[in-house]
Amino acid sequence: MPSGGLLLQSIILGLLLGGLYALLAAGLTLYFGIMRVVMIAHSAFLILAAYLAWWSNERLGVDPLLSLLVTVPLFFGAGVLLQRMLLSRLRAATLTMMSVLLTFAIALIIEGLLGYAFSGTQRRIQLGYGSASFGLFGARIAVVKLIAFGLAVLALGSLYLLMKRTSFGWALRATIQHQDAARLVGIDTERIAGFGFGLGLATAAVGGTALSLDTTIYPSLHWHWIGPLMAIIVVGGLGSVPGAAAAAMLLGLGQSLLQIPMGTTWAQTVFYVALFATLAFRPQGFFGGRLAQRF
Amino acid sequence: MPSIFRRTHWAPALGVTFLLTLGACSGGGGGGESADDPITVGISLPLTGDFSEPGKGVQQGYEAWAKIVNDRGGLLGRKVELKILDDQSSADRVVADYEQLIGSDQVDLVVGPFSTRLVVPAGRVASEYGMLFVEPAGAANEVFTQGFKNLFYAAPAVAQDHYNHLATYILALPADQRPKTVAYAAMDDPFAQGTAYGLKAKLEAGGIKTVVDEVYPPNTTDFGSIAAKIAASKADMVVGGSQYQDGVNLIVALQQLRYQPKMAAFSTAPTEPEFAKAIGNKTEGILSPTGYSQDAPYPSNKEFVEKYTAQFGKAPEEDQANAYTTGQVVEAAVTAAGCAEQGECQQKLIDWVHANKVETVVGPLTWDATGKPQGAHMIQQWIGGEIKIVLPDATKEAALLYPKPAW
Repeated sequence: MPSGGLLLQSIILGLLLGGLYALLAAGLTLYFGIMRVVMIAHSAFLILAAYLAWWSNERLGVDPLLSLLVTVPLFFGAGVLLQRMLLSRLRAATLTMMSVLLTFAIALIIEGLLGYAFSGTQRRIQLGYGSASFGLFGARIAVVKLIAFGLAVLALGSLYLLMKRTSFGWALRATIQHQDAARLVGIDTERIAGFGFGLGLATAAVGGTALSLDTTIYPSLHWHWIGPLMAIIVVGGLGSVPGAAAAAMLLGLGQSLLQIPMGTTWAQTVFYVALFATLAFRPQGFFGGRLAQRF
Repeated sequence: MPSIFRRTHWAPALGVTFLLTLGACSGGGGGGESADDPITVGISLPLTGDFSEPGKGVQQGYEAWAKIVNDRGGLLGRKVELKILDDQSSADRVVADYEQLIGSDQVDLVVGPFSTRLVVPAGRVASEYGMLFVEPAGAANEVFTQGFKNLFYAAPAVAQDHYNHLATYILALPADQRPKTVAYAAMDDPFAQGTAYGLKAKLEAGGIKTVVDEVYPPNTTDFGSIAAKIAASKADMVVGGSQYQDGVNLIVALQQLRYQPKMAAFSTAPTEPEFAKAIGNKTEGILSPTGYSQDAPYPSNKEFVEKYTAQFGKAPEEDQANAYTTGQVVEAAVTAAGCAEQGECQQKLIDWVHANKVETVVGPLTWDATGKPQGAHMIQQWIGGEIKIVLPDATKEAALLYPKPAW
């Protein structure tokens, strides 16, 4: 039986990890909602953003968080271009399938370019507060993990407000819910889809920066992330951002707590067990989304 | 099918003729000609693919060795020539490469490639031809359970023995000062785990309790939970069977939880040049075993570091040093046996290495019957922002700090 202290510490670590997972998975579920595309390259963009944050800290000496000022608009633009120039040209009948191939290629290109530009050496941002922490009822909360969690709350909160309170958000949600009906009421779904994609990639910029604060990065790291992130968005109900966030918190917490009795290797399987359980018993996901029923 | 039939007969026939001609040449040429002939050393290395990084390091080590030997006037008065093939990190290619080097290229000597996965198949080919096979990388146990009689690992120790000096040091402490509990976290990898478990076996035999024993997969990036377990155990000592990024991330996660052990030992990561910066210079007191140090006071090491730096513009690391050590072992055997060619000479070389001690850049080396080196790694410790050799006493640059200062 684990001690109370370890349990509390694991719960805190699990919640912080879950918050990060939620941010990293947000874009992925958005793309699927908007266009029914599986964006394998999402985690590659995360690592790209992490590298840009590392680079701006290492070469320009600025705090990695400041790199967001450049990477968020840059990634938004890249997302719009990616959707308009490439993904919207895929045939609707084979869209989901072909998007896997297309974005797989993009992921490989990003990985290759990262290796070419920064070499395969493992990098880590050096921060004065990298190992700083403060106490809470006997447990420790690391400052960098809290910043990452704060970024997640901030980004997901703004995304939520944007979706609920602005006319762009309504148009985006209408496009997600029923593209044809949205077009009938006069929404330019093509344009909205482009912006939606940009929004998804902008979350990748924030997520990658959050990730870079407390991990060692290397070009092929994205392959380790895409599996768990895919599991999160399926459990959360494909296309639902709040669903993905809830699933991410739950799985992050589950992974952290299961690590106490089962060890690291087996705790990782929580994602895949949840994935299989979802597909077997509730393919529409446990948190709201209904899109998966159509497949 | 006649053409195929004919071809299958042609090739060996041609090969035999070729070999006979070669044999006639070297046999008939007499002593004068062989003294002018270079000694060719055949090597297959992973210059592309998975192991290309360390593979290139090993290549530089071999090149440095050949240059230093040739500048000195060669081996037995003959120039040394390296013949290097690229095996693309593939076990199939490495077999074909050594077949080609020994069979058709008729090299005089062969030395090993990089990594256990390639050393074992390459060693088998060399063994079939009865060639001496000294290798720079292949520390895992399976290398020494194949029944090779011609293979020698040119490094101080296999993974399980890396921490031997530290184990001896800890067990020699007075009972009330010894760490009483130890937490182990090791990557699921034969080499990294081997180092930690080698120490674990010795400390457990000495009555020191294991309180955490975690194994994590190589792709683990989040070490928060492992660190939480270790911190909650309040172990006196933490041992990490790490490569690089896992060691760095685990140390930072432990520091975030304000865990302060009396002793902390991690394999590989602390000896990497980027380590101190990666963990924000909070390195104080971290221990690490190392097979090679540029500062080690062995006679040939000073020459190696100087000449290597002149040739390549930077100081050698462990991969380069292991390749150079391989060269030194072969050099010593050839000089003692007075020959370097295929045939009977190879057995003389093998017997000599089995029976003798060789002085190298990583210290004096001897081997058991399976080719396993009989030494242990030096132990280094981060003291005042620098990594220094602290064990064994014969080579130490500073005294081991125990209990370690806070990190």
